[in-house]
Amino acid sequence: MTAPVRPSARVQLAAVFRKEVQQTVRDRRIMFMLVVAPLIQTVVFGFAVDFEVDRVPTVVVDPDRSATSREDARRLLADGTLLSTGEEISAEAASAGIDAGRASAALVFERRAEADRLSGRGQEVQVLLDGTDPNRTTVTSGAVSRFFSELGERLARERLEASGQTPPAQLRPIPRVAFNPGLATAPYMVPGIAAMLLVIVTTFTSAMGLAREREMGTLEQVLVTPIRPVLLLVGKMAPFVVIGLLVVALLIGVGTWLFAIPIRGSLGLLFLGTVLYLLTTLGAGLLISTVSANQQQAFLGGFLFTIPAVLLSGLMTPILAMPGWLRPLTLLNPIRWYAEIMRGVLLRGAGLADLWLQLAVLLVIGVAIMAAATLRFRRRLG
Amino acid sequence: MSAPAPGAPVIEARQLTRRFGSFTAVDAVSFEVERGEIFGYLGANGAGKSTTIRMLNGLLAPTSGTARVAGHDVAADPDSVKASIGYMSQKFSLYLDLPVMENLLFFGGAYGLFGKALRVRAGELLELTGLAGQDAAITGSLPGGMRQRLALAGAILHRPEVVFLDEPTAGVDPVARRAFWRLIRQLSSGGTTVFVTTHYLDEAEYCRRIGLMVDGRLVALDSPAGLKRTWVPDRVLVARGQGLAGAAAALAGRDGVRSVQPFGAGLHLRVDPARLDEAGVGRILSAAGAREVVVDRAEPSLEDVFLAVVGREARGEAVT
Repeated sequence: MTAPVRPSARVQLAAVFRKEVQQTVRDRRIMFMLVVAPLIQTVVFGFAVDFEVDRVPTVVVDPDRSATSREDARRLLADGTLLSTGEEISAEAASAGIDAGRASAALVFERRAEADRLSGRGQEVQVLLDGTDPNRTTVTSGAVSRFFSELGERLARERLEASGQTPPAQLRPIPRVAFNPGLATAPYMVPGIAAMLLVIVTTFTSAMGLAREREMGTLEQVLVTPIRPVLLLVGKMAPFVVIGLLVVALLIGVGTWLFAIPIRGSLGLLFLGTVLYLLTTLGAGLLISTVSANQQQAFLGGFLFTIPAVLLSGLMTPILAMPGWLRPLTLLNPIRWYAEIMRGVLLRGAGLADLWLQLAVLLVIGVAIMAAATLRFRRRLG
Repeated sequence: MSAPAPGAPVIEARQLTRRFGSFTAVDAVSFEVERGEIFGYLGANGAGKSTTIRMLNGLLAPTSGTARVAGHDVAADPDSVKASIGYMSQKFSLYLDLPVMENLLFFGGAYGLFGKALRVRAGELLELTGLAGQDAAITGSLPGGMRQRLALAGAILHRPEVVFLDEPTAGVDPVARRAFWRLIRQLSSGGTTVFVTTHYLDEAEYCRRIGLMVDGRLVALDSPAGLKRTWVPDRVLVARGQGLAGAAAALAGRDGVRSVQPFGAGLHLRVDPARLDEAGVGRILSAAGAREVVVDRAEPSLEDVFLAVVGREARGEAVT
């Protein structure tokens, strides 16, 4: 039995796969980080990440103390967006309260609020807002404006009717929300969180894995065997694709159970998308490790890739809200495409006909990254 | 990819050179290694031993010059070279977190071995290297000597024509070193060519031929005995007897005496054989009051050779 000069690719691939599985499964901490940690984080983030703004702490300044001003405040606070935390005697005191963080909004009525309204001169209500969190500020300000514009409209109508005139026809849009009628945050966010956790976990494992082999010297021992670099890289990735699929299945299970996330489309399609996505994230990890001399560098490289990738994926902020020059960059971001596939399949029941572009883009990015990693890897040996 | 003719060298280096930037790690090195030979490669740290090995096993491309290993050109066909050689690097480089058998199965697979044949071969090698029964032990838990033998087993799974051993016994205790060298000799008598670097000079005595590297250049190449003849022309003598300590002063400065050193209860001296012989030394010592004097010739050690070579290089003298 002498070793063949051109060993079979299948034998070499199987050997790398087996070795990688053995190492990963034996390392309990790695298994925990790969499988259990994303699960826990999805649950925690799923509950924590909620874009619905409610119970904004609000102080009321009402020097008028009239029936109308009290009624306005009561009805505005009744909708739940604002929550009264007490009264202040002046706008200055309310403003100081916002500075001190005791309240995020203040509703300041004028001293002659009721008199101004009844006289028809018009009434002004001042709203002080803490703009630290722009989303919260916008929602709070929207709730206050909506309340007072509806109130104004009603007063005008009553006045016209009292004077015997016919009020103008009302224009009222009636929105019908598809896919997520309750506008719950979780069904939208949980697939995004899963995509984010998957990129972090898999990029780091593959980047560190190869860097560790280089550091330990085992890579040199592997490189004196006649194994082809591409087989080595693919064999090292393959077990993590399997683990990644397992994690996605678990996350969807938990998402369905805890956050009532629907599964409207084909899970097969979602798994296909997941495999292509993992090709890009694991490939990125390998590419990072080919430019790193040791594990620290690979670790920092992992951050340099994953953090911008997550921030520029549309998971956190809408892509349309990004500046024009930045937007095209998101086209190269695998997270963006995978999040679209996940949300499409789960929430909208999208099929292959709707998602072929996303799948094709992931395939192209994945193959390009893998090719770059293999080339870099080969060159380093020279 | 022609098989080398019987009797043709298994390793042939011609003007092999490797530069890293402006630093020349290996400078125009030429040598041949015959089939089944144990070839020792000696030199201080940084002399270019590992760089030479890494060029010969296809890990590093030569800057210039050529080398053929097992009939394949290392630059043109590194994959064929890799399939025909085994390599044990200076640093233990099997997977510490895997069981012994998994390491062998992985490296066997990388060489294209599989299935029952691979398991049988791995079992044989564990037997040969004295690791039978350790299949399931985690590699990292093995003591140093066992690790070295396991690394050797991993390097010869595919029955390579040549094995390169880069400081295989560094940091291993003397008993384990001896056991390891027994394996090396066994391999060599089975027809495997062994190319070994070491800086234990006692080990180098086991080699059929030795190449000496100084600052990237191969400055001497011969059998251990040949090296000693060439590089240590002085005769090394050992004198024993009574009262030597007092008589030793009589030797110092005498014509033909190169050095005198106390060695245990006796004296170690180096003399110019053209001017002074054992009998002469005996007469001088007896005349100075020593009794029962016996003077014997001793073999110079490779350490003497090494110091002579490095010393001459340092003085910048031409090597003949």
